Amino acid sequence: MSEAYRDIPWRNHEDLDRYAVKQNVPVWIGGKKVTADRVVKTCCPHNCYDTCGELVYVKDGKVIKIEGDPDHPITKGHLCLKGFANVQKINSPDRVKYPMLRMGERGEGKFRRISWEEAMDWMVEKIRSIQTAYGPEAILEYCYSGNREHMAKAVAGRLWNLMGASKLVGSFCLLSGVAGSVGTVGSQYTMDPQVWSQHAQTLFLVGRNCTATNPHIFPFLYRLKERGGKLIVVDPCATGVAAKADIHIRPRPGTDGALALGLIHWIVENGWEDRAFIAEKTTGFEELKEYVKTWTPEYTEKVTTVPAAQIREVAEILAKTDTMFETGYGQQRYSNGHQVQQALACLAAVCGSFGKPSANYDCISGMAFPGVTGFADGAAVSAPKGADIPKTRLVNIAAVARAIHEAKEPPIKGVISYRGGLISQQPDVDYTIEAVKSLDMFVTIEQFMTDDTDYADLVLPACHYLEQYGVHPSYWHNWNQVLVPAVQPPYECVPDIEIFAELGRRLGYEAYFPKDMTGLDWCRLLIGGQCDLDKAVSPNGPVRHTENWCPKVPYETFDTPSGKFEFHSSVLEERGKRFPGHYDPLPVYYEPDESIAATPELAEKYPLNIISQHPSFRTHSQYYNLPWIKEIEGPARVFLSKKDAADRGIADGDKVRIFNDRGELTDIVARVGIRLKPGVAEMSSGMWVKLGGSVNKLTKLVPAGPRDILAEDGILREYDPLLDGNTGSYFNTLVQIEKMEQEGQA
Amino acid sequence: MNTRTQRILYIDTRRCMGCRACETVCKLENDLPAGPRYTMVTEVETGEGFTEKLNFLPVPCQHCGDAPCVRACPTGAIYKRADGIVLTDGSRCIGCHECLLACPFGVPQFGANGRMTKCTMCVHRIDEGALPACAANCPAEAILCDTVENVSRILRERYGASASYGPFAAELQEAGR
Repeated sequence: MSEAYRDIPWRNHEDLDRYAVKQNVPVWIGGKKVTADRVVKTCCPHNCYDTCGELVYVKDGKVIKIEGDPDHPITKGHLCLKGFANVQKINSPDRVKYPMLRMGERGEGKFRRISWEEAMDWMVEKIRSIQTAYGPEAILEYCYSGNREHMAKAVAGRLWNLMGASKLVGSFCLLSGVAGSVGTVGSQYTMDPQVWSQHAQTLFLVGRNCTATNPHIFPFLYRLKERGGKLIVVDPCATGVAAKADIHIRPRPGTDGALALGLIHWIVENGWEDRAFIAEKTTGFEELKEYVKTWTPEYTEKVTTVPAAQIREVAEILAKTDTMFETGYGQQRYSNGHQVQQALACLAAVCGSFGKPSANYDCISGMAFPGVTGFADGAAVSAPKGADIPKTRLVNIAAVARAIHEAKEPPIKGVISYRGGLISQQPDVDYTIEAVKSLDMFVTIEQFMTDDTDYADLVLPACHYLEQYGVHPSYWHNWNQVLVPAVQPPYECVPDIEIFAELGRRLGYEAYFPKDMTGLDWCRLLIGGQCDLDKAVSPNGPVRHTENWCPKVPYETFDTPSGKFEFHSSVLEERGKRFPGHYDPLPVYYEPDESIAATPELAEKYPLNIISQHPSFRTHSQYYNLPWIKEIEGPARVFLSKKDAADRGIADGDKVRIFNDRGELTDIVARVGIRLKPGVAEMSSGMWVKLGGSVNKLTKLVPAGPRDILAEDGILREYDPLLDGNTGSYFNTLVQIEKMEQEGQA
Repeated sequence: MNTRTQRILYIDTRRCMGCRACETVCKLENDLPAGPRYTMVTEVETGEGFTEKLNFLPVPCQHCGDAPCVRACPTGAIYKRADGIVLTDGSRCIGCHECLLACPFGVPQFGANGRMTKCTMCVHRIDEGALPACAANCPAEAILCDTVENVSRILRERYGASASYGPFAAELQEAGR
């Protein structure tokens, strides 16, 4: 029996044919030609470097096929495996189809269907009662990068501002590195890969598993290699890109910052530093030179386990050839994550790798945070003119569970969660679940029944990104395509923007959420002032950002306080006078929070450092439930070195138990091989808690710096996203692994 | 068959980096559920110590010059086209699995109906002048589909002129290129 779905009277129905690149387009499905009603251009907003251009074929209101947009100059008509799996995802029979209210206990996953009318009434009543009992700051949103486009978060931000709710800030991905980078370099840019692939002699790639997170870099990287260039990869894991490297450096996890210091030492020791660049465009070099004196190749080997000979060899290549620095985010998923990036930026500066087509430095484009740089007018959306916006407390997402546990005056009592797996993605799952259980209201807006929905009071049916608008400029390349809905939402699903707008209207803010405002109108309000929006909207696009936002060859100048690259960071030094943390003006190395060197007693019990990469199969916890993906990915597995496996009597394919004081995982399949060096294990992030494979059962809530936000329980009055950090230090996790008794054994 | 003009699917393993996009683009193009897999990326570890390396080997149908499956099939359901593409006539397949026993690559797949199915080199696309879905999409540009002659020309362009990279690097360096 098919279920009936009700019309939602307050939904904004638009004619989507206006976005058609073409109508009545023949397309192949299963070897047969089918005529699609229209094909629409959009891009993927799943928090990846590539932000691929996509062509979406629609027939009878359904997405039937997705292809890469061949006109996209970076992604060139190619998509990753997830891109195609979106057809299975958006059409999945397992979608959340209508609002559901919890019946059983939290965690049981028992719900009953309700109407949107009832859902809205329920939320309004709950929000009002929490506001009355505890005050407006007892409400908090939880939102991250599941769909990383910025528009819905900005519209929701308008509502939170009007309500005077606590405000969610920060990141648990990469803002630590950004602090280290901004502190030395100033504003952040990236150079088009078309440029460096034609000019650089060496590519120095750190902490980025490009196979999973940046597949479209490969043609550029191969172009560089075919010109005779060298690829040097720094990664504790033997990744796909490491397999293509001329030199693969494998430091002990969490010591990339030490490696950078060792490389700087050897360059300076031999007088290979770029003296002209240092004299003209930097400050503080003498101080750095003094600090790295002790970082001899031998001492660096002791800290990092990288052979001294390899350090000498690589230092010479970096200094003597035109080197492009492409730094990823893996190296900063340790409590010293800000130091790592600060040290890498200093290494690039010592080599003179700034401001040249052949030698430059990429950490992240400022387009990653368009509201901070001003490309997006966040205030126009979130703080509308004439509205009375109270200054509220801020909650840092990198310590959100701590904040929920510890917040007083008022406590946090209501959380509305969307676009992020709170339970599966935050470190220390059990601690997060306890926090969620303490809430009076936990609403999730989800596409599927996830770990989060099991603990929710109210589950709302979310839209796939192909069913809604969005703004997601890439943080790696410099091309922009606005997201438009390819299809109308199915069932009773509602785009996030419209959910927040309707909730706002029902909470009494009708004037600020006009009913006839479309998603595109909101996008225009957000970025229309800084770009010709229509050129980036299907059937048009993508467009390159203008030179003032994204110069073709960035870093010819620096906008630090001194106007130079700062080996001695004045902004970090100043910030450190005001806030607790590790604001060192120099990239002074210190061990991660948990490691064999920092916590040797703990390492006796738990000798393996487990790191959790992003797999190519999924965007964190998304796509895990799709048949195509399950078939490729197989059961949850942990990678081990041959030595660690042999020491434990573990053979490839054995089931193992992974544990520490925070939790345990059982029945994980061991994969024994060359991917890791002894002492390191790897298990991909994002597998669902309820399916038994979540590595975050083992990880610890200790955000990387520079600011020590745990000293403030993650609850802040003031926060600078460019200088304060933070990043989840997922990778400084010590565990033990043991073989499980197989069935039939004694 | 003239092997120089036979159309082949060539995997440039120097380029394949294991993203597995070929697997889902194939599923979508050929409208396949979980179950039959027309291509599959295997990961092979080689070397010891500093020579340790991960290798990625996508294995679609090799459309062999002298295809063992064609010879093994007792009903003549498998055949080779003039351009070299090996195809299956599902209506003649009796599901005996002889082709699977004969295939050195484990290519033949058996779906819910028990009949053999496999990579067709996206013959429907080839016949309209387009590349197979996996070759058209590969983000690493590792999958080539063309005649033997043309594939070999592309490889010479990629690697032949480079003195520091590719299979002939040592010889080229010695020759002073």
